[in-house]
Amino acid sequence: MRVTVHQLAKAYGYFWALRDLEIQVAGGERVALLGPNGAGKTTLLNLLAGLIYPTRGEIRFDGAPLTRQSNAQRAAIGLLSPGEHLYDDLTARENLEFFTALYDRQRGPINIDNAIEETLEAVGLGRWAGEYAGALSSGMKCRLSVAKWKLLSPKLLLLDEPYGVLDGGGVDLLESFLKAQSEQGSVVIIASHHVARVLDLCTRAMILEQGKLIFDETRREPWDSFARAFGAFTPGGNR
Amino acid sequence: MPQVTGKKRKGILGAATLVFIIAGLYWGLVKAPPDAYQGDSQRIMYLHIPSILIAYLSFFLVFVGSCLYLWKREKRDDNLAYGAAEIGVLFTALTIVEGSIWGRPTWGVWWTWDARLTLTAILLLIFIGYLMLRALVEDESRAASSAAILGIIGFLDIPLIHMSVYWWRTLHQPPSILRPDKVPWENIHPELLTALAINFVAFVLLYFYMLSLRLRLGEMHEEIKARRMR
Amino acid sequence: MKLLRQTLLLLRKDLLLELRRHESLMTMFFFGAQLLFVFNFSFELTPARVSELAPGLLWLAFLFTGTLGLTQLFEGERGNHCLDALLMSPIDRGALFLAKTCFNIFLMGLVELVVMPLFWILFSLPSWQPLPALFLIVFLGNVGFCVLGTILAAVTLKARARELLLPLVLFPLMVPVILATIRCMEALLRFGELGDALPWLRLLIGFDVIFLTVGILIFDWVVDV
Repeated sequence: MRVTVHQLAKAYGYFWALRDLEIQVAGGERVALLGPNGAGKTTLLNLLAGLIYPTRGEIRFDGAPLTRQSNAQRAAIGLLSPGEHLYDDLTARENLEFFTALYDRQRGPINIDNAIEETLEAVGLGRWAGEYAGALSSGMKCRLSVAKWKLLSPKLLLLDEPYGVLDGGGVDLLESFLKAQSEQGSVVIIASHHVARVLDLCTRAMILEQGKLIFDETRREPWDSFARAFGAFTPGGNR
Repeated sequence: MPQVTGKKRKGILGAATLVFIIAGLYWGLVKAPPDAYQGDSQRIMYLHIPSILIAYLSFFLVFVGSCLYLWKREKRDDNLAYGAAEIGVLFTALTIVEGSIWGRPTWGVWWTWDARLTLTAILLLIFIGYLMLRALVEDESRAASSAAILGIIGFLDIPLIHMSVYWWRTLHQPPSILRPDKVPWENIHPELLTALAINFVAFVLLYFYMLSLRLRLGEMHEEIKARRMR
Repeated sequence: MKLLRQTLLLLRKDLLLELRRHESLMTMFFFGAQLLFVFNFSFELTPARVSELAPGLLWLAFLFTGTLGLTQLFEGERGNHCLDALLMSPIDRGALFLAKTCFNIFLMGLVELVVMPLFWILFSLPSWQPLPALFLIVFLGNVGFCVLGTILAAVTLKARARELLLPLVLFPLMVPVILATIRCMEALLRFGELGDALPWLRLLIGFDVIFLTVGILIFDWVVDV
């Protein structure tokens, strides 16, 4: 999987949420997407997920443009926002059953029912598999989202602030899942404000500010240049 | 040949429109003889028939603009559909008002559920729905694509609406006295046809003049937007 | 086949959610039943007049309850942005259209199955004979109403005041369905057979087929930003 973003721009009203973005990410990379509120992180994730349409520019996956998504492209992209994209009135298990069927994972070589049970156990939801998703706490819902994408295993996994509601065990679970995904050649992009955590996990960092990419560097131990650039928007940091 | 600028072209179009409207008024009001049965009230037909044809033309252009927009996502095509719809509302409403003015002396009522009147009223409602939709969707590209879908569906629906409304008035009820007779083209006075033709040309010119202004307005909106972008 | 399988999957999910939430069916049913009372107060429905007015009144009641269903159609997908989840998934958008259409047809059908006999009882219509044929006509009307209604419900999804906007754009386009259904029902009630109303039936079926096809083809653009 290779993601190429070329001259990407998105306007809301009279306001550029993103402008002239040039990004190339290859499979196996884990990208930390950082930046203050309103920098355009979620807009970028939504554009990559195909939920909104760019005002200008293009996005390519392995060379194929995303402007009119094919089903194959959609199957390869996952967006994990904690608590979102789950049916509150379906049980945890039913949610997973529904989405695996939707992504046509029912007829693979593995028995999907077993896989669902195993995954539920693995994310620590075994006891709550029969509960409605709406009755789960926000942390458990987030674990359910992790279980969903674990089963669907997308080639491009986008995460929108996944850390906020997870406990320590949940974070470990999420991070080992993300590492496993990128080791399989998937691209992982995480937008987050939990800078220390996300930098620790990722192999590359990008900073957006006012819709522009102001920093983009692959990890070299330690994050020297990054720490300097990052001072630009931490509370108390001076420009 | 010197290059004709957009402004100049519009000026020529506007002048031609004016000439044809004056000629049309002269022919329609003075030169053409009054109708044998309906007298002078028939003269409104010189406006009425062109306006309804223009209304249909608008629908067609909305359809064309909508298809093009969904296909290529060019703001220009959306502008065409939007502009055609706005002017379409004007001409559809005009058609109904003219019909009413004509209906009062001819049929004795302002309004009757005649097939043509009903159909025109439905067209007006569809156009208004289209504009309402545009006004109520905030996101611009979303408004454009939503409206484009409605424009396409509305256009596809028109033949069915047309058929059903005509059947409703003919199959269901016996033809009433209020039903307007079909225009007997062969018995028509040549001056009447000339007046109609001139007015038709005048309306088409007027329509495209208005549309070109409307398209320019759309472009200017885009320019303003580009300048105000932060 | 894939289209059908995905449609059934989505439809099953919608039915399951309706079973648990009771959001649409009950409101639609009680609204339809209430309309019968309102009609009674407004029209002085004597047995002589009721046969004549029945087709129009019934179809009007179904039109309103159907609109109620349409405004709720995508409401269940709003919580947790579930519609986004569906749109991001690799399903054919035509399947989404078909599932939502079938769901609303099903709800309208259930309401009608109760409301129509209720009408017969409340207004003591003389003959129950035409009822099955009437159901069939009403069903075809439902199909036409729901195919176009689903497209427009999706089109108005991101609009402000969408519940008010939907009937406004929908009803003018629905004229062929309204006229055809009522004319067919009239013929059935008056003569016990379609007779002269046969062209209306053809128009109704034509409308259903045309917009069902258009819906499947166009829905990709409808839900696409």
